[in-house]
Amino acid sequence: MMSFESAPPFAAPLRFFLTAPLFALLAGLLVAIEGPDIFASRWMPASLAVTHLLTVGFMLQIMLGALIQILPVVAGASLTRPLLVATIVHLGLTLGTLLLAAGFYFGRPDLLSAAAVLLALTILVFLSAALTVLLSIPSTSPTIRGLKLALFSLAVVVGLGVLMALAMAYGWALPFPALADLHAAWGFGGWAGILLAAMAYVVVPMFQLTPGYPARPSWWFPVGMLALLLLWSGAVLAGWPAGIRISQLLAAILGLAFVGLTLRLQGKRRRARADVTYRYWQLGLAASIFALLMLLTVALWPAVAEYNGWTLIFGILLIAGGFLPFIVGMLYKIVPFLAWLHLQNEGQAKVPAPNVSKILPNVDMQRQMNAYAGTLVLLLVAALQPEWLSRPAGLCFALVSGWLWLNLFGAIQRYRQHKQEILAKLAAL
Amino acid sequence: MTHPKTPHVVDARYMEPPAPFVKTMEMLDILQEGEKMLLLLFREPHPLYKVLRQNGHDYEVELMPDGTFEILISR
Repeated sequence: MMSFESAPPFAAPLRFFLTAPLFALLAGLLVAIEGPDIFASRWMPASLAVTHLLTVGFMLQIMLGALIQILPVVAGASLTRPLLVATIVHLGLTLGTLLLAAGFYFGRPDLLSAAAVLLALTILVFLSAALTVLLSIPSTSPTIRGLKLALFSLAVVVGLGVLMALAMAYGWALPFPALADLHAAWGFGGWAGILLAAMAYVVVPMFQLTPGYPARPSWWFPVGMLALLLLWSGAVLAGWPAGIRISQLLAAILGLAFVGLTLRLQGKRRRARADVTYRYWQLGLAASIFALLMLLTVALWPAVAEYNGWTLIFGILLIAGGFLPFIVGMLYKIVPFLAWLHLQNEGQAKVPAPNVSKILPNVDMQRQMNAYAGTLVLLLVAALQPEWLSRPAGLCFALVSGWLWLNLFGAIQRYRQHKQEILAKLAAL
Repeated sequence: MTHPKTPHVVDARYMEPPAPFVKTMEMLDILQEGEKMLLLLFREPHPLYKVLRQNGHDYEVELMPDGTFEILISR
């Protein structure tokens, strides 16, 4: 359910959606150029660059753009000046990502610290705009509570990231491995994980016609995850390795519970036809199960992380297997729906808007998704056979990301054509 | 469908947007003075709330254990 008055202009979220796939494309190209070296360790300069092109360049870019659009709908919180916030955040995030990736890749401390400052300021702008409206709203639904806790986690992720980037630039002595794990935990578990759950509570029943998420677990999932991340942070500060492992174990179990619940709800869906969003979510859920089982295993037996390719496979499953499919699945619903909504408004109830399938044909999305699933398998096999497969896998990832961009851009082109037609028809009335 | 809270119910839990909004508006149109209607949804419809407030309708929301939001709207 969505009314037009509360929706920000189409241009506000679109710029984020059209920029993000280009960063994924760049990440794929970097893998193709670097080849097997990139698969050697998560600490390689190129690996750090690729990871952040995907997490900041793709994930964060779309998450913030979507939030600007969706906060009024899911929380009744309209940003005061959405277009201005979108312009600043998009620019800061895009430049910041490029600086960050370049800083890692070329080992340039000056670029790293510039990226840290720029990204910190950008997120500060977003957080102040979002929290100004969100904090004045009572947490009447698990979604609103989840959003607040996710934004708190975003502040922690960025804080830790800035600290590490500056420490690298100025040579401060920090326990990097433990802090990097914590940074990733707040990023994937707190920010992306809680945000995903808060959005899933709304979009899974709405788009896939499933039953709702039961109230009690929905209230407690975000709080439980946040508590575990605080425990994890405390354990890092106190130098208590067992505490870190306990938090990892419980976070993995909590994540599996959320995934299991979502799968159960999807099993009861009332939409007979499985659309692309549903299938992308199934892919994301399946890959997340494997990633979370790996997290659970490493919490119980830390030595397995020494196994060749373990960390890499975990990362591929979590990012390319889990979060990216969730995000792309939602994009494929949101972009045509927004286009339709804006066309509906242009028509002023006199000229009807075309069906969403005319804006983004199902077959285009379906083919891109099949190619994406194939690429994911290739990436996983490449983690075991990097000599032969890392370059083709990187190239395929770049291609499917470019394909996503083409699909979204095509939708916008068709939206513009329909808009012209509607305006012409209105003028002729 | 009726409900202990009111006989006028829109169960929009398995409807796609914008059907819940449209059905609620249609039901509000046929309600008599002093009557109330109940909207059932698996989410809080914030854009609808805004329209309800603009049109001077009062509403109360209750989240049930199964995840249903029961939104009781006065005419």
